[in-house]
Amino acid sequence: MALIRCCFEPVELPEFFDTFVQKCTDPTCCCGCCSALRPRYKRLVDNIFPVNPEDGLVKSNMEKLTFYSLSSPDKLDRIGEYLYQKASKDINRKRYKFVEIAMEAMDLLLQACHAQTTLNLFVESFLRMVQKLLEDTNPNLQIMATNSFVKFANINEDTPSYHRRYDFFISKFSAMCHGNHDNVELRDSIRLAGIKGLQGVIRKTVSDDLVENIWDKVHMEKIVPSLLFNMQFCVNVLFVKKNLIASGDLTPVEDATHVTPPVLAEEVLRELVGRASFGHIRSVLKPLLTHLDRHELWVPNTFAIHTFRIVMISIQPQYSYTVVETLMQHLDNNFKSSPKTRTSLAVVLSKIIAIAAGESVGPSALDIINNLLTHLRTSVSTTTEITNEESQYQEALINALGEFANHHPDYQKIEIMLFIMNTVPDLSKKSKGDQMLQNILLKSLLKVGTQYSTVSFEKAFPASFLQPLLKMARAPHDPTRVIVMQIFQALLDRHQNEKVLSYVTIKPYPALSQEPPSRSDIIFTHKYGANIMQALIDSMALSDRIESLASSYNTAALLIVEMACGETVQEFLLFILGIQQVALTADLELEVVHKCNLHCIAIALMSLISRVTGVNNLLEYAQKIIDARKEEAPYFLPPLLDPKKTGTTKMNLGLPHLTIDKIALAESLQNAGMDSNRLQTGTPYALNQTDNPAHRHSWVDTVSNPQLPQRNSSADLTAYNADGDSVTSSPGVSKKILAPEYNFEAMKRALAEPSEAMKREQRDKQLQIVRTFREGNFEDLVRRTEPKHDLIQNRLNDLFNSLAVERQITQSDIKTQQLQAEKPIYETNFPELFYY
Amino acid sequence: MEDYKFLFKIVLVGNAGVGKTCLVRRFTQGLFPPGQGATIGVDFMIKTVEVEGEKIKLQIWDTAGQERFRSITQSYYRSAHALILVYDISCQPTFDCLPDWLREIQEYANSKVLKILVGNKTDRDDREIPTQIGEEFAKQHDMYFLETSAKEAENVERLFYEIAAELIDQARSKDGTNVNKTTADAIGLGNFGTKATQNSCCSGFSSNTSQTNCENGNSRSNT
Repeated sequence: MALIRCCFEPVELPEFFDTFVQKCTDPTCCCGCCSALRPRYKRLVDNIFPVNPEDGLVKSNMEKLTFYSLSSPDKLDRIGEYLYQKASKDINRKRYKFVEIAMEAMDLLLQACHAQTTLNLFVESFLRMVQKLLEDTNPNLQIMATNSFVKFANINEDTPSYHRRYDFFISKFSAMCHGNHDNVELRDSIRLAGIKGLQGVIRKTVSDDLVENIWDKVHMEKIVPSLLFNMQFCVNVLFVKKNLIASGDLTPVEDATHVTPPVLAEEVLRELVGRASFGHIRSVLKPLLTHLDRHELWVPNTFAIHTFRIVMISIQPQYSYTVVETLMQHLDNNFKSSPKTRTSLAVVLSKIIAIAAGESVGPSALDIINNLLTHLRTSVSTTTEITNEESQYQEALINALGEFANHHPDYQKIEIMLFIMNTVPDLSKKSKGDQMLQNILLKSLLKVGTQYSTVSFEKAFPASFLQPLLKMARAPHDPTRVIVMQIFQALLDRHQNEKVLSYVTIKPYPALSQEPPSRSDIIFTHKYGANIMQALIDSMALSDRIESLASSYNTAALLIVEMACGETVQEFLLFILGIQQVALTADLELEVVHKCNLHCIAIALMSLISRVTGVNNLLEYAQKIIDARKEEAPYFLPPLLDPKKTGTTKMNLGLPHLTIDKIALAESLQNAGMDSNRLQTGTPYALNQTDNPAHRHSWVDTVSNPQLPQRNSSADLTAYNADGDSVTSSPGVSKKILAPEYNFEAMKRALAEPSEAMKREQRDKQLQIVRTFREGNFEDLVRRTEPKHDLIQNRLNDLFNSLAVERQITQSDIKTQQLQAEKPIYETNFPELFYY
Repeated sequence: MEDYKFLFKIVLVGNAGVGKTCLVRRFTQGLFPPGQGATIGVDFMIKTVEVEGEKIKLQIWDTAGQERFRSITQSYYRSAHALILVYDISCQPTFDCLPDWLREIQEYANSKVLKILVGNKTDRDDREIPTQIGEEFAKQHDMYFLETSAKEAENVERLFYEIAAELIDQARSKDGTNVNKTTADAIGLGNFGTKATQNSCCSGFSSNTSQTNCENGNSRSNT
């Protein structure tokens, strides 16, 4: 009777249970009677438990159970239920060994039967079992349950289970991730179990849309912080380790087999982020950012950078810019927090932005740029004074911008630069905030510019970019101009000469590397060189501060090194003369030292260009001047003089013989067998000539007319020798000899004709005209010219008189009338003449 | 074995060091851990109780009070059936923070969640918050109120049993299966404050709900 009772309630009477099991293993004994009374599956399940719990699972009987459940899968759910019941009782009685055996059996059954269709019901009991174990306070049970759960998570189920819920598991595993047991080893294994469990849940749910949505806010808010909490621990440990290793207290021990919670947590985070689709990224990032905020992990930002790197690397590449966007939004939300936090955020941004850059093209790239610029702008506008921290923040933002631009192809960099240029406030705005903003934006422009490697100037300086930049080069504010110059330097410098040319000297630069300019460079020089040089002259005249002069010099020198060649040398010489002209012009109220410095720059550029172009005659001439200056006026030679430190008393500026002479330059060129026409005929660059693109100064400048402040302009850019007939035909203006054209025709003509005689004749004619004007008395000249004027005057008077009669004609009509009337003059002339 | 009728999730919140973990430990394990360290993240305990002859499983989530864990603890509010807001009666600042906690609860928890205000550490002599003040605050914010001592095991059992009883009432009235309830007002947690001998009471709340609840709960707590 007792034996039968024990069959029904085996666990309630342990002493009998033991004997019962013992006997049951004997096939000849009471099994017969038991089998009549108990279902077979229960017997099979009972048999897998050993007498002594320390012996572990009875393997042979487990095989029987497995075979049974495979052969009659309909019983599987009942087996599961029965095992669960047994385990629950064992837990309540704290017989943990038996619980372990039950769990092990369930694992084995699950593995063996995962192909069965009835698995679903078994899984229910299995999960209840896992939950039961997790609910217990015994950490070993929890760990075991997690391991079982992980095994389950790795099984691919054929049939989805719609009603299964995982929220308890997520909650519990997250809690386990924060395990805080006194025993460090145990604590770590609990945490590891928690992380593994989360990984299991993620694997189980992420691919299946029908089960619980793991991306739900409720779940992510538990999972992500739990993972981060463990990772954050890692960084600290690493730091401590690093420090210890550095101080020699700890020798680095590599054990690859031992997985620590931080390592695993990182892995899980990677997996999670890697599986996230576009819509889900934000639900991962939001708790991530909140966690970083809460745990104050922005300052220092090592961990934040580490985490975001992980996110950026594991995320599906097409979504990576979302991370950047989200981070920037977070920056937006943090605009009130301390500059330090913001700086850290911006630094994190700059560290990860590069990874995103490769993927974001077109509008999204510009969007990010725009966003960064907006942040810069708000930073400038909200701060009344520049604190150190705030400027660090701005610096970090600019760096981020630079990093971002750096990872774009060059053609996009141009676009980005154009974009930034367009956001720079106008020079017309003179408030302090605008000035700061100008500087900041130009700095960011410079940052992008330095990342750009120029191949052709045509591409690096599109007109829409160059024009505003040149305008900025004339900014009244010193630092602004210096930045603009740096931008020019960054974009002009193709051969890394910027450092070499950073100081002003008349000696050769030893480390200068150069290459003859290409055809397209020369074309660019013809088109825009003049504009740039004009701007340079203006900027040199604006300030006597050494750094701004030096940076202007640097730009000019780079321009020369990159562009100077036989075809362009004259223009550069005119530019140099222009610089000198500024120093010589009396009505400009420049400081004495400033003038000296301009002379220095002029001569330094002069010797540079003669070396670059290899025209020895020029170099000789330059050397002559230098030698002369050394004797008489060393202050006309480099180095530049500091206006604050230099006394101006003993400086004599009125030394015309020490200046660079245009005619002498032209002669040197001619002697070297080069064309000097442009030099002879062109005026040096002068101050404040606006380079209106419509009336741009061009190379064709055959009319030298010193009285006119404005250069003559012509549309034809390439024709070096435009026809001079119009010049010759206009009276009263001295004619210039045209240098022979260097083409075949000209050569032929030159050979065929007695050129000497012709030249002499022409010169005589010219001299005669000049003499007439020079030596003839004023009345004579007036008389010579008056009749014509008289005649025209009379005609005009007549005309106006006749017009005055017709009052009803409106003002505008008068003008047209006038124009129309102009031609008939000659016709109406005849009757009058007749009259006389 | 596992035939519990209801499963309720209870979350404890409140400033660090007010004794949340001790309350839970006292209730689930019957002990008072003297040198209890700060909870990290969330801790989990389970206890099955019997109220009105029904087995009720209580999942108790004990959250960390520290500010830095706020982000993860908030995520546990949402699924809670009852929130126990704990303060330390001998520490004014923990009481002053209550409005902040309520704001958090408002934001993250279910709007119908059962809220209980608990003033812990009644065993301490240096009381700073009189019972009256706590009671009034609870009344103002539509919460139940109880003062406890985890150390002396005072009112701890009662707290959880009464929560369980109240949650059963709520669950039944929601289900509509409970037909023998005469009053529609099932929200009132009448058992709180019915014991006149206890110094803590919440007189503001109606006591018109079934007395069986109360007796049942009390009898359990006395055993």
